[in-house]
Amino acid sequence: MDVIQQLREQAKKLLEEKKVEMVIGFGEGTELARTTPVFITNPEEVSALTWGPLCANNLVKYLIDYQNLPGNVAVVVKGCDSRSVNRLLTDNQIDREKVVVLGVPCSGQLDWKIVAAAVDPAAKLKGFSDDGESFTVNTDAGDYKFDKKEAMLHKCLVCENPNPVVSDITVGKEQPVKNYEDRFAEVKALEQLGTEEKSAFWDKQFSRCLRCYACRNVCTVCTCRTCVFDQMQPMWVSKRNNLSENTAFHLIRAFHVAGRCVDCGECDRVCPVDIPLRKLNQKILKDLGDLFDAPTPGSEAGLASPLGEFATGDPEEFM
Amino acid sequence: MDSRVVNKGQLPELLDKLARDHTLIAPVREEENVTLFKKVSGASEVQLDYITSDVSPKGCIFPQTEKTISYTYTGDTLEMKEQDEPPKTVLFGVRPCDINSILALDPVFEGKFLDTYYLEKRKNTVIIGLSCSTILSTCFCTAFNSGPCDGKGADLMFTELGDKYYVEVNTEKGSSLVEAYSQYFSKGDTDKLAKAKEEQAKKLEGQFRRKVDLEGVKQVLDENFELPYWDKVFKKCLGCGICTYVCPTCHCFDIFDYVTGEFTGDRFRCWDSCMFPDFTLMAGGHNPRPSRKERVRNRFMHKLKYHLDRYNLDGCVGCGRCISKCPVNIDITQIIKDLKEVGQNA
Amino acid sequence: MHNPSPLTPYPATVTKIVDETGDVKTFTVEFDDPQVMENFGNKPGQVAQLSVFGEGEATISITSAPTRGKFLEFSVRRVGRLTNVLHQFEVGQKIGVRGPYGNWFPYEMMKGKDLFFIGGGIALAPIRSLIDFALSDQYRKDYGKVEILYGARSYNDLCFKHDLFERWPNCPNTKVYTTLDRPEEGWDGHVGFVPNYVEEVNPSPENKVAIICGPPIMIKFTLAVMEKLKFADEQIITTLEMKMKCGIGKCGRCNIGSKYVCVDGPVFNLAQLKQLPPEF
Repeated sequence: MDVIQQLREQAKKLLEEKKVEMVIGFGEGTELARTTPVFITNPEEVSALTWGPLCANNLVKYLIDYQNLPGNVAVVVKGCDSRSVNRLLTDNQIDREKVVVLGVPCSGQLDWKIVAAAVDPAAKLKGFSDDGESFTVNTDAGDYKFDKKEAMLHKCLVCENPNPVVSDITVGKEQPVKNYEDRFAEVKALEQLGTEEKSAFWDKQFSRCLRCYACRNVCTVCTCRTCVFDQMQPMWVSKRNNLSENTAFHLIRAFHVAGRCVDCGECDRVCPVDIPLRKLNQKILKDLGDLFDAPTPGSEAGLASPLGEFATGDPEEFM
Repeated sequence: MDSRVVNKGQLPELLDKLARDHTLIAPVREEENVTLFKKVSGASEVQLDYITSDVSPKGCIFPQTEKTISYTYTGDTLEMKEQDEPPKTVLFGVRPCDINSILALDPVFEGKFLDTYYLEKRKNTVIIGLSCSTILSTCFCTAFNSGPCDGKGADLMFTELGDKYYVEVNTEKGSSLVEAYSQYFSKGDTDKLAKAKEEQAKKLEGQFRRKVDLEGVKQVLDENFELPYWDKVFKKCLGCGICTYVCPTCHCFDIFDYVTGEFTGDRFRCWDSCMFPDFTLMAGGHNPRPSRKERVRNRFMHKLKYHLDRYNLDGCVGCGRCISKCPVNIDITQIIKDLKEVGQNA
Repeated sequence: MHNPSPLTPYPATVTKIVDETGDVKTFTVEFDDPQVMENFGNKPGQVAQLSVFGEGEATISITSAPTRGKFLEFSVRRVGRLTNVLHQFEVGQKIGVRGPYGNWFPYEMMKGKDLFFIGGGIALAPIRSLIDFALSDQYRKDYGKVEILYGARSYNDLCFKHDLFERWPNCPNTKVYTTLDRPEEGWDGHVGFVPNYVEEVNPSPENKVAIICGPPIMIKFTLAVMEKLKFADEQIITTLEMKMKCGIGKCGRCNIGSKYVCVDGPVFNLAQLKQLPPEF
């Protein structure tokens, strides 16, 4: 039985047995290459659930929205998303008792835009196959092969957790860890630049920021009730869209999630103007690793933030 | 209507000249996958083969951030300085959907209170349209009385045909520009090119994947404010501002002061988003659209009903940006389809 | 005088400040260029944008009637950032004003009729412009009996005490009913909530227009009473409040359905209100 079938059955069972009130999963999108979050409350509707290499969204974000439902909520997670579950638990943002984690081992997620550009827009999706180094998208207009190295999201090329690190019900077979490049290769390349070059690089990126706040809203560790950027009294960052305000926004954002960012890459994926936000987060992740030997936040249950606790052995280079 | 021909080989020179004599704003490849409309100094910066810009060019006339006044205020003295007149601008390479959006914005900024900030830029800007040659899967401009080669609203409309651009001269402004740079605009065999353009338009119109039928949708919204459907749509919305900021017809803005010194400051207006909670939050704490449900409903009502009610113009032009940019695949064409169904089942 | 930019305020000066209640002050404002006032043309019920430089703008209803003189009055409750700063203003300080915006009370249609005003708390401010207009020497003859029923939580929360207890009761064919929510030492007037008091006073809908403004809960219960008293929807007029920025129908936030409160409102009769989606 394939993963989709198993997922639907598990979801149906959870809903029928009233173990959960809602199942949050992936459903078919309005384009062949896209999926969309679905919120299923009726066991008859589990056929809306799907799974495949076009399920990039981190659905754990919705646990924050729906934590106050009277019943429990089940959520479909990939390995990277599962780190968010751990992180939200550590931050006391969600109640473990009220969440059923439907873990799905994942062998990579494709960039939907690459798929959409290649596939006949009128084609109907039939399925996917994972051929190790590539995914094949099967459609009624033919099969399309996508080389993983070329078409996957960057985070998948350096994936640490293809298998969920927290899961109540795991569906699908375990996936091997496979890295296509050094996890911090891009960050290291940026580190090589001089101060002025670095500044020019980020100035160019930040200057086109629209301040739509999608990077914040999609982030599973952005859980503040009133965000500093929405605060009016005092107004720390004004609504003026210019390099100085945009830079302030991005640096505050990156530092606010430092030590808690689980590197799910969602901020990077959703940016409408392709600002490589994950590079900022990754720089901090790399430094935390170098300085404190800190693993990726959320990769183990109960892992404290390296910046949220003090150990006598911590280096104090700034002092 | 007058028409002209521009040789493809001569376009760079024309653009260079335009950039020399005006502020020239054109599509620029900012990053590998990002195209934005920006001020350019010449043809070499212009990305002629772009398909659609990531953010609409409306910002050239309605900037995301715009200073309205500067003031000096000491308590008992007050001086204000208004904006200078905007420069003569040529906006080159605008796609039909984005031109259509400017036509949809015009009546918002006209009316009893003339919005001089917008209208002066509008007056000082010559819009040169550029017909599409690729139809994206998210495109649906044909649902709004437009098409991939529709020059309505452009002062000049360029259509690439082989080694030439067929140029439709649609307005006085366009005509004066042609006259000023007449060496680049030849009379040529415009009849033949007009026919070729028509054929190209027809061919492209056959390539639209999204068949969007608006018949009856407004009526459903006229008759129903509360629909159980809205309880479903908003659930996945993240409440970010992508859809409103990439949208070519969204016009909401905020006004605020920015203090620059002990006695000086600037007043700005800048784009705002109806998706943000503080958009309608009043100082006393009351919020008439307190949750995402009301905000999502308001956005689609604005696009599909309110704009029509106020200006008798569609509030959407089918550019498809909100569809391709929405992180959770909220798709206005799906919503149109669903609302139609709701109407049929009512 | 035509102002070229619709968002640029006219410079003005605060010439008088009255403490109405613990958190409400009334500011009298005069334009620095008297010509501006000549052409301002504000009608009862309209609003203006007040600029507190450094803080921005706020939409405030003009509480003075144009018949009162060459000034504008604004009663402002201290609720947020801008109004906090405004409350620290002193006489002589500069302020910016642009407007007038919105529609106005249909005073032409009200001619020959009795007027029954109902207000609660700070919300006497928007209707005060019409009260003073109808009670002015110039227009008093156009209207029948003028009754004003007003309530607040306590004596200290009553706005416009001078108007309530001295000016208005002495106007011809005018009656003022004042009530406090709770009994209070030294208060020998009526005690009880506004809707109940309206029911007690029992105004007849005959040739009468009711103008109601107050907190949502007061409006809700008062409307129920008005229905009981057989007032038609067209006889009941109110003014709405929404967050506004531009005041000129462009910035898009004060919409209720297709209507912008800043240009199509803030004055609506109940029949019109019932046509709007309940999103205010």
